[in-house]
Amino acid sequence: MWLLVPLYVLGVVALWAAFIHAPTERQMGEVQRIFYFHVGAAWTAFFAFFIVFVAGILYLWRRSPFWDEFGAASAEIGVVFTTIVLTTGPIWARPIWNTWWPWGDPRVTTTLVLWLIYVAYFILRSSLPEGEKRARFSAVFGIIGFIDVPIVFLSIRWWRTIHPIVITRTGNRLEPEMFQAMIIAVVAFTFLYFALLFLRTGMRLQHTVAEEMAHTLRERSE
Amino acid sequence: MRHLKLIWLLAAKDLRIEYRSRQAFLTTLFFAVLILIVFNFAFDPGSASTRDASPGILWVALLFPGMIQLNRSFQSEMEEGTLQGIVMSPLDRGVFFLGKLVANWVFLLAIDILILGVFVIFFNFSLEPGLLWVFLLMFLVGGGFTAVGTVFAAMVSNVRIREVLLPILIFPIIVPIILAAVNATREVLIHNDFSALSRWLQLLVAFDVIFLAAGFLVFDYVVGE
Repeated sequence: MWLLVPLYVLGVVALWAAFIHAPTERQMGEVQRIFYFHVGAAWTAFFAFFIVFVAGILYLWRRSPFWDEFGAASAEIGVVFTTIVLTTGPIWARPIWNTWWPWGDPRVTTTLVLWLIYVAYFILRSSLPEGEKRARFSAVFGIIGFIDVPIVFLSIRWWRTIHPIVITRTGNRLEPEMFQAMIIAVVAFTFLYFALLFLRTGMRLQHTVAEEMAHTLRERSE
Repeated sequence: MRHLKLIWLLAAKDLRIEYRSRQAFLTTLFFAVLILIVFNFAFDPGSASTRDASPGILWVALLFPGMIQLNRSFQSEMEEGTLQGIVMSPLDRGVFFLGKLVANWVFLLAIDILILGVFVIFFNFSLEPGLLWVFLLMFLVGGGFTAVGTVFAAMVSNVRIREVLLPILIFPIIVPIILAAVNATREVLIHNDFSALSRWLQLLVAFDVIFLAAGFLVFDYVVGE
């Protein structure tokens, strides 16, 4: 798989950049280095959901099972990356802001809602038998879910101005090396996402084919 | 115009069925009252922090029974198999969606008004001008909630775990209207602060419009092939 070579290279470079190239943050210390993985995973998580949205539309338009598996694969990767974001976030936040979870922060809480929508997507899928209906409903839910995400973000932002958050954000002045490390990490995560997406979609499609073959064989042997 | 008449006919059918037995209405109402009572036991009734939390309690008492009712709204279609009939008929699926939506919305509003009365009694609110704004909030929240809820209720109508699946699907999506409803209610009823109200109302209207449109467009794929 041609994507894997640049992915490995980027992975090593990103690790080097995050741990060695970037300087230690003055106020936060070493724990700040989590930021590089956090941002990379966060951007990819939201992008993955966008792909679920697009795949949903394409499925409803084309009715090809490929788009259903593509969307489901993207959602799988998305939920994993969102979990990474939601776990690295509090790990970073607790020593810095003295709180595990800042509810008023729109990005944090929107990511939580995004995670909820992803998980709901899979609970919905698991409750339906495999087939056209499941693909249709997943597509619809993916579309409605994605439309909702910007509205959720705005509503939490408005909530925040009424309940000011206790933590004030430290300035976002990044040293050039830090900025480079962040960009490299983001690119690395994006490559990782696409590699996983294509691999996973292929696996899901092959799984479907294998199931059909097993079914046919079972029928023939009766 | 014909479409509006159809929507009204469909909604009236559902509401009439409900009116004849009133079973769902009364049990949903009872459930909502129960929630209010349980929360009164859960929190210290006299304290100021409970009063501050009371808008949240009100909306929980409205939304959870609302989910039950949404599930129920497709029950007759599921039991009698009328969903296939509707799919095969020349009826525009979007019109069917709006018919169901209007019926659910009206039902919810009826419950809302009664529960608001019980809420005022339990939490010792006086009959103040803010209450009219709460009616408006209930109207708008009802719209968005039933828009999203009708689509999802149709999707889960044939699933065994639909009672728990429907809240799982709906709640993440309606986070904005929960925030808007609870915060606007709190500001208006408790702090008597009407300054941020227009912003929450705008959010609710925008949400309603977006998801009414989305639901209308997408319902074709939910009910049909």
